[in-house]
Amino acid sequence: MLKEKKGGARRELSAKPVGKILKFLSSMQLGIILLLLLAAISVLATLREHDAAIQSIYRSWWYLGVMAFTALNLLLCTVRRIKPLTRQALYPQKEQSAEAIAKMPVRETVVLAKSKPAEKVISLVANAFRRRGLKAEIITGAQGKIVFAQKDVCGYFGSLLTHTGLLIILLGAMYGALTGFERQGGGIVGDRISVPEGNFAIRIMDMWVEHEEDPTVRPRVYSDVSVTEGGREIAGGVIAINQPLRFGGNTIYHTTFRYVSEIAVRNTSTGETSMYRVWDRDYLPLEKDGIHIHFLAFFPNFITNEEGVPSSQNYLPENPVLAGILYDDKEKPQSHVYLALNEPVTFSVAGGELEVTLTGFQHAVVYTITRNLGRPILVAGALMFILGLYLSFFQQPRRFWAVYDQKQAAVLVGGRSYRSRFQLEQELLQLVNEITRREEEEHGRIS
Amino acid sequence: MAGYLEISPLGLAVENILFTAAAVAYLVATAGYLTYVFGLKKFGPLAAYLLRFSFLLHTAFLVTRTVNAGRLPLVGHFEFGNVFIWACVLFYLWGEWRLQGKDYSVGAFLTPLIVLYLGYLTVIPQLVEKINISRAHKPLQPVLQSNWLQVHVSASVLGYACFSLAFAVALMWLLKTWLKDKSFVRNLPEPQILEEYMYRASGLGFLFQSIMIITGAIWADTSWGRYWGWDPKEVWALITWFIFAVYLHARFTRGWRGLRTVLLVIVGWVAMVFTWVGVAWLLTGIHSFG
Ligand code: HEM
Repeated sequence: MLKEKKGGARRELSAKPVGKILKFLSSMQLGIILLLLLAAISVLATLREHDAAIQSIYRSWWYLGVMAFTALNLLLCTVRRIKPLTRQALYPQKEQSAEAIAKMPVRETVVLAKSKPAEKVISLVANAFRRRGLKAEIITGAQGKIVFAQKDVCGYFGSLLTHTGLLIILLGAMYGALTGFERQGGGIVGDRISVPEGNFAIRIMDMWVEHEEDPTVRPRVYSDVSVTEGGREIAGGVIAINQPLRFGGNTIYHTTFRYVSEIAVRNTSTGETSMYRVWDRDYLPLEKDGIHIHFLAFFPNFITNEEGVPSSQNYLPENPVLAGILYDDKEKPQSHVYLALNEPVTFSVAGGELEVTLTGFQHAVVYTITRNLGRPILVAGALMFILGLYLSFFQQPRRFWAVYDQKQAAVLVGGRSYRSRFQLEQELLQLVNEITRREEEEHGRIS
Repeated sequence: MAGYLEISPLGLAVENILFTAAAVAYLVATAGYLTYVFGLKKFGPLAAYLLRFSFLLHTAFLVTRTVNAGRLPLVGHFEFGNVFIWACVLFYLWGEWRLQGKDYSVGAFLTPLIVLYLGYLTVIPQLVEKINISRAHKPLQPVLQSNWLQVHVSASVLGYACFSLAFAVALMWLLKTWLKDKSFVRNLPEPQILEEYMYRASGLGFLFQSIMIITGAIWADTSWGRYWGWDPKEVWALITWFIFAVYLHARFTRGWRGLRTVLLVIVGWVAMVFTWVGVAWLLTGIHSFG
């Protein structure tokens, strides 16, 4: 391990049985086991049908239990390490004896060309450290003057921020799930969607369609809504895909659009006409408990291929057709039904003949309406998490100590790092070079 | 109703020629690096020049594709694969430049990996019927027309590129420790140095993978109305992330070194490749848009 020194808390905790349990619960050993367990369960879950996996795995008590355990592990470990880490980061032991430096994991001795006064050498070393971007200070200890230098102290807090950020994300997700809701709703222009969970209602004021340059791509459907609470408008605006309307933790998303057709059914003998509004999957009864049409799809630009399979060439409403299947009273399919715009199709029923006509159509929007009060918490957690990762990997805390032995005319430099020993070794070499270079320069000037 | 963009014949020709040229150049650079590692030391700088040249050709291909499609080439298997390969080379060249010509051996393991990825984009679809990698220029579906797409996909190619580098170095470590100083393995860096390289690449990859997951969640939240839907692609990205988290912790806190950590990196890379390739052809979900 590359720890500079063991956290004191660890020893205090392990003395009692409760402490032992706490120590295990907060250990990285358990963390590794839990992370591997989560990975393994997730692999198995993706081999299942998506909906089945959600129900039987991701929402099961035991999966949530493993997650909760991981969160507990993370929480305990983070809390336990705050004090030792802060102490380690902010209160380093600046004074070190020559013997201690000689035992450091990375160390080097620079022999000077000639013995010089300690004062001079120490300040030369401090300047060399500063030149290489370290924060250096000169300390007077029991054995004389010492140079202490460090860099990237922030790096100590990287993992703390990473873990706290993760915990905040979990907290935000939990809070959002407990206080929020999610439902679907939609309609055509003029419709009012009541959302009792949120205590508000949405009125669709206007709607328009913008086709893409390439009309085979789903067009964008825009809807202008007004949201009211107890008759008072609380929000409003245009909603489209990737452009939800947000207000007070609530969000209205455009999920998809559908077609709503207007159908006229005229009895040819009586001349009596009824109007219907049907969605693209609705049933249209033609007689009571008798024949009926089950509509299956609306094609804005109808076409059939050589085998007679219907499709739409694109989304331009150039040849709108509503297609369905005619069923008899025993639910037996009878024939295909294709209703083209303003072209009546006649059906025989018990009381005579019915003329069914597609007289028009419009777009209907489908919204997903949610409340998520956890969003600000999630954003804060995510930012903290990313900042923590950055500090963990790009700020490598390291410390150096140097003493001068006037008798041997030797500078002893030792270093410790929090993470990368490799980098520490390289940096020590550079420091030694810098000291030698400066010493030679000065030596040259004097002689 | 999957539509295609109309591309001028000239634009298309330039794009195709640049792609083929870059692919061939990568192959030649691979041969250069292999020659270097098998003992002809003076091939190192030459291989590096070849790789830089291939990288320029590949960059020109990506620029042409951007112009032709009228948008960044970030959607569909073909475009993603190309940007991903490009990012692998970018990171490797950066590392090589930082080493100031001291070592080129990582290139001898990364370039074959790149050839493998290129093979997946070009040869494999012709051999395996189920794998269908279209090179057509498709317009963006409205749901993909978002700036988050660009951040999300960029973060994922950068993360995948770092993990690929870590994987290439993990293979070097295995050969170096198994064959000791036999044959060409003599020219590879010491295992400790390889472990350090692997650790740094994985750390950087982990940062990008995290950004990818977070921006993906934000994007899903604005377009689908949910952060996380347990879609197989999302879950596999999370699995990859878990494995690299275990690796980083095991190395840093538990002090693991050697084979155990190398195996974790290899397993992490397998999970990453499965997120990219396996999920698309073996599992289904809303992410399989192309
Ligand atoms: C499961 C419970 C977890 C425990 C008990 C735990 C514990 C630790 C400990 C003790 C350290 C090293 C201390 C330090 O750098 O000061 C650490 C580092 C770190 N942790 Fe965790 N951790 C857990 C989960 C996670 C997760 C889920 C992530 C992100 C996916 C994460 C990300 C990191 C990172 C990036 C570092 C820095 C690693 C390095 O420097 O190599 N941790 N963790």
